[in-house]
Formats: sequence, C-alpha cells, structure tokens
Amino acid sequence: MEATTFLPIGMGLIVIGAGLGISRFAAAAAESIARQPEAASEITAAVNLPLFLLEGVAIIGEALTFAMLFFS
Amino acid sequence: MTTVAGSENTSGSVMDQVGDYIIHHISNSDIHHPIIHFPTIFGIDFSITKHVLMLWITAAIVATGVILPIRAYLKKKESVPTGMANALEAVVSFIKDSVVKPNVGPKWVDTWAPLILSYFFFILVANALGLIPIFDTIGVVARFVFGVGPHNDHAFVNNLLHGGSTATGNFVVTAALASITFIAIIIAGTRAHGFIAHWKNLVPHGLALPVYLILIPIEIIGLFVKPFALTMRLAANMTGGHIAILAILSFIAIFAEVFHTTAAGLGIAAFSVPIASALTGLEIIVTLVQAYVFSLLSAVFIGMAINVHH
Repeated sequence: MEATTFLPIGMGLIVIGAGLGISRFAAAAAESIARQPEAASEITAAVNLPLFLLEGVAIIGEALTFAMLFFS
Repeated sequence: MTTVAGSENTSGSVMDQVGDYIIHHISNSDIHHPIIHFPTIFGIDFSITKHVLMLWITAAIVATGVILPIRAYLKKKESVPTGMANALEAVVSFIKDSVVKPNVGPKWVDTWAPLILSYFFFILVANALGLIPIFDTIGVVARFVFGVGPHNDHAFVNNLLHGGSTATGNFVVTAALASITFIAIIIAGTRAHGFIAHWKNLVPHGLALPVYLILIPIEIIGLFVKPFALTMRLAANMTGGHIAILAILSFIAIFAEVFHTTAAGLGIAAFSVPIASALTGLEIIVTLVQAYVFSLLSAVFIGMAINVHH
C-alpha cells in the first residue's frame, strides 16, 4: 500500500471540516442578523476575517494534499 | 484541450494526458521553453517566462487604468472626479475606509492605504487576467489558421503557449507579495513604537518566566506563518479554481475514452460544460474576494504591529 493511498480521504476530511466551520459561521451570522437587522454590516465585518482565516487553513491543507498527490 | 485532441501521436492513457494538461495549464512555462532567452547572471536565469510576461501586462494595465486617471484627476482644478477617476474613487474610498482605517487606525491610515490599494489593484488585475483565455485563443488561431504544428519548438507562438497565464497562481509571485507585507509589518511597528519596542511588543509584558519560554518561540513562528498563509491562500485559491474547472471539463475526454464512444463524451459534456461555466462564474467572485482578502489581511497584520493590545 502506497503512502498516497489515503490522501483522497484526507482531502475529503478537509472538505468536511471546512464545510462544517463555514456553515456554522453562516448560521450564526444569519441568526444574529435576523435578531438585530440594524447591525448587519458590523456582523458581516466581524465574521469576514475569521471566515477568511478558516478558509485559508482549508485551502492550505488542500494545496499540500494536491502537491503530495502530484509530486510524490 | 489541445493535448487530448492531439492524442493520436502521444502515448499514455487518457488519464495521464489529462493530468499532464492540467499541471501544464496551472504551472509557469518550462525553464527550457521561455518566451525570450536571457543569459544567466550570478547563477540566476533571467529568461522571460509566461508569468513574468503576465506580471508586466498586469503592471501596464494597472499603470494605465489606475495611476494615470488618478494623476490626471489630481492635476485638475475642480474636485469632482469624472469618468475613470469616478469609478476608482468608489473602490479607493471603500478600501481606505472599511479595510485600512478600522485595522490600522486613523493616525496611520494615510501611510498604509497606498500599499494596501496597490495590493488590491495589482492582485485583482492579475487574477482577472488569468481567467481570460488570451493565449489559448492565440494558440487555436495559430494552430488552425496559420498551421503551426504542436511540436515546433522554434515557433514563437508555441513558446508563448507553455504554461498557464495566472501570475498569482504561482507560489513564487505570491511569496514575493507576502514578503512585502512581512517587511511592511516590521516597518509599521518600528515607525509606531521604535525598533527595539516593536520586537518587545511581540510578546505581552509582565508574565512569569516559564510562560515566555513557550510564548517567544510561538510568536517567532507566528511572525513567519502570517506571510506564509498569505502566500498559500492566494496561490492555492487561484490554482484550485483552475484545476476544478479543467478537471470537470476533462471528464468529457475520460468518459469518451473509457466507453470507447463519442456519445458518452457528448452526454457528459451536457453536464460538465454548464458546471464548468458556473465554476467560471464562481471564479470571478473568487478573483474579487481574494484580492480583498489579501488587502484585508495585510492591513490586519500591519494594524497588529501598530495597535498592540497587550
């Protein structure tokens, strides 16, 4: 069994993790905007930065997985 | 899909050809096939590759589309911007007021807004140029109108076709941009607090000694992780979108090969082409978002060096 056999499973795990994280962000943002519609712009601004950091971690994981898959 | 279309004279299964084509599309041009050959100076090959050319085109577009209208506007007497300067004013004021000012603070906003705006416009134009299939169109015209063979290495057009055209999809380009941020963080901290105080500010004051033994290495790692994350995020986003579009399009070739009939390929094409079109639309949003994210995170990191919270 090669070392790269489980890489697709790892990619799937990254997608699951990022999807769960981003969906929790979206749900929390939608709930708080529904509760306080006048604070919508502030909530969006507060959600943006951690959202991009989360996305960055996921995309770095995906890129490294791809790199290992292609260049191993 | 030039490689797949010319599959009669190449060896290997269709999967290998598709993989090769995708790698070829997202990477820079081969160092043995640069667009213009330059001599090696101090061990560095100065040949002009595809991504260097795209960076120059990006710089030219930013210079003519952003810098010239703003300079013309500044020279005018009346203060109401018209035409291109009017369109730019909306973007500039958005970046300055809602990206730079909340993070850097009102005192330093005029110092760091030009850098962040340069990032935004440069990355936006470079990302967007990667979505336009300029060179693929040139290749199709050269192949079928002027009859340039696919393996003629002396033809200028074929050297132009090596590699993809998204300059920001190259990790070296984004690493260069992130190193500017890395230096800007140090300069921002030095200008706000002084050189020694900036490095002292990396860790909180007044903690127990064992905590510092853990904290100082973590903060030093964090110093390099910030630009590294910027590098990887931008390049991987631009590369990933192109891989996804091409992988979905190459299902056409794979299915036609596996089932030994053109009809299977056409049937899959009915699904792949709309999905690829939708992904291209998504890529337009990603183009905007990634330029915004790089600017925002650079502003956040510079602001973290200026407004120390501990």
